[in-house]
Amino acid sequence: MALIEVQNLKKSFGDNEVLKNITFTVEKNDVIAIIGPSGSGKSTMLRSLIHLEEINGGTVKIAGEAFVEQGVYKRPDVIKKATAKMGMVFQQFNLFPHLTVKDNLELAPKMAGKKADIAAMTSDLLQKVGLSAKEKAYPKSLSGGQQQRVAIARALMMNPEILLFDEPTSALDPELTGEVLKVMKDLAEEHMTMIVVTHEMGFARSVANKVVFMDGGEIVEAGTPDELFGNPQHERTKAFLAKNLK
Amino acid sequence: MADYWSSVILPMLEGAQMTLLLFFIAIIVSVPLGFLLTLAVNSKIKLFSWLATIYITIMRGTPLLLQLLIICFGLPMIPGIGEYLTIDRFAAACLGFILNYAAYFAEIFRGGLLSIDKGQYEAAKVLGLTKSQTTRKIILPQMFRVALPSVANESITLIKDTALLYAVAVPELLHFAETAVNRDFSIVPYFIAGAIYLIMTIILTIFFKWLERRFKYE
Repeated sequence: MALIEVQNLKKSFGDNEVLKNITFTVEKNDVIAIIGPSGSGKSTMLRSLIHLEEINGGTVKIAGEAFVEQGVYKRPDVIKKATAKMGMVFQQFNLFPHLTVKDNLELAPKMAGKKADIAAMTSDLLQKVGLSAKEKAYPKSLSGGQQQRVAIARALMMNPEILLFDEPTSALDPELTGEVLKVMKDLAEEHMTMIVVTHEMGFARSVANKVVFMDGGEIVEAGTPDELFGNPQHERTKAFLAKNLK
Repeated sequence: MADYWSSVILPMLEGAQMTLLLFFIAIIVSVPLGFLLTLAVNSKIKLFSWLATIYITIMRGTPLLLQLLIICFGLPMIPGIGEYLTIDRFAAACLGFILNYAAYFAEIFRGGLLSIDKGQYEAAKVLGLTKSQTTRKIILPQMFRVALPSVANESITLIKDTALLYAVAVPELLHFAETAVNRDFSIVPYFIAGAIYLIMTIILTIFFKWLERRFKYE
């Protein structure tokens, strides 16, 4: 069974149709890179999966359970149960500035009343992202790359089955993207299911097992990195890659 | 010298107690009231939002002195019900300050709410926080932090505005200074009054600077 199934997803902002009939599936352990020009609808599509955007038509199933079917949303508890299977990492990190790194990680599991040893998880995850020494630091005192690594650890605290990344390195100075991509690569190697909207072609090519090219609110082409980068079928894909692969 | 102390300075310090009492009552009640007004302005219930907006517009748009005069002298003059609206002068003044300052604090908190990035709400949502958890743990702490410098500013204004008690004949700091000036035909009491106000505002400034450092989150 596919972990995520999206059928005929449609989304408009007023008269502006930003997603036209998007259909795709995500299998367990997939690492999917979504690429495409700005304004192609990549981020909106990703945000729709976790209910940060309301779609106007289509179905989204998470682990076989639809939280929106033919454009009609289910009850809030059904939506919450489905979206709780996913974690999300934002372009702007969106850490809570008034909380320390440790409290950023621990707030959500504590609020959810998790029984697990939260403190132990915190220290494991901070070690994993290489920030054990920053437990008591506030986000403001961290570099962008460090903040994004904290954000990844924070998302992992809720034990998501799927992690969504919305241009996780686009707000970073070029010399800081590497440390974040490294953490993401480690997660991929541990078989975390991931969907990554990105402009990092190198990452898409070397870490993803599937690359989706979107343009004008549609999926133009999808395939393995070798197929998409090595032998693109569509003119639009070719034009985009010609501009973005240097 | 001892004479001057007992005839001028001591009454002024007693007056300053009145000033401080009014200040603390006004701030303790108007800050939470202002916060409730902010919630009302942002309420989904149109009637609440509408009433709160009208209230804030009127209270901010007319002079505090006028409001005090109406509460202290105007209300008791209303035919029929006026006699029930006559309250202790000091209590009436407190009421006037609270009602007026709540409107200002409401606007300050509204500004604090607007300053919070929508990414904060989104991060809270994808982490599974409920609306009320998000408000309590994420939004309010940040709102108060953003509002702090403006609250400090407004508090200093409030200390100085207590001098308006003079106009409704509640004996406070300025009243005793004025009495001494007229009696002794000397302007020195004015300067002493100024110094006492200054000491109060400086202490308040130091307190708020400490609060700002305490909640710097760095």
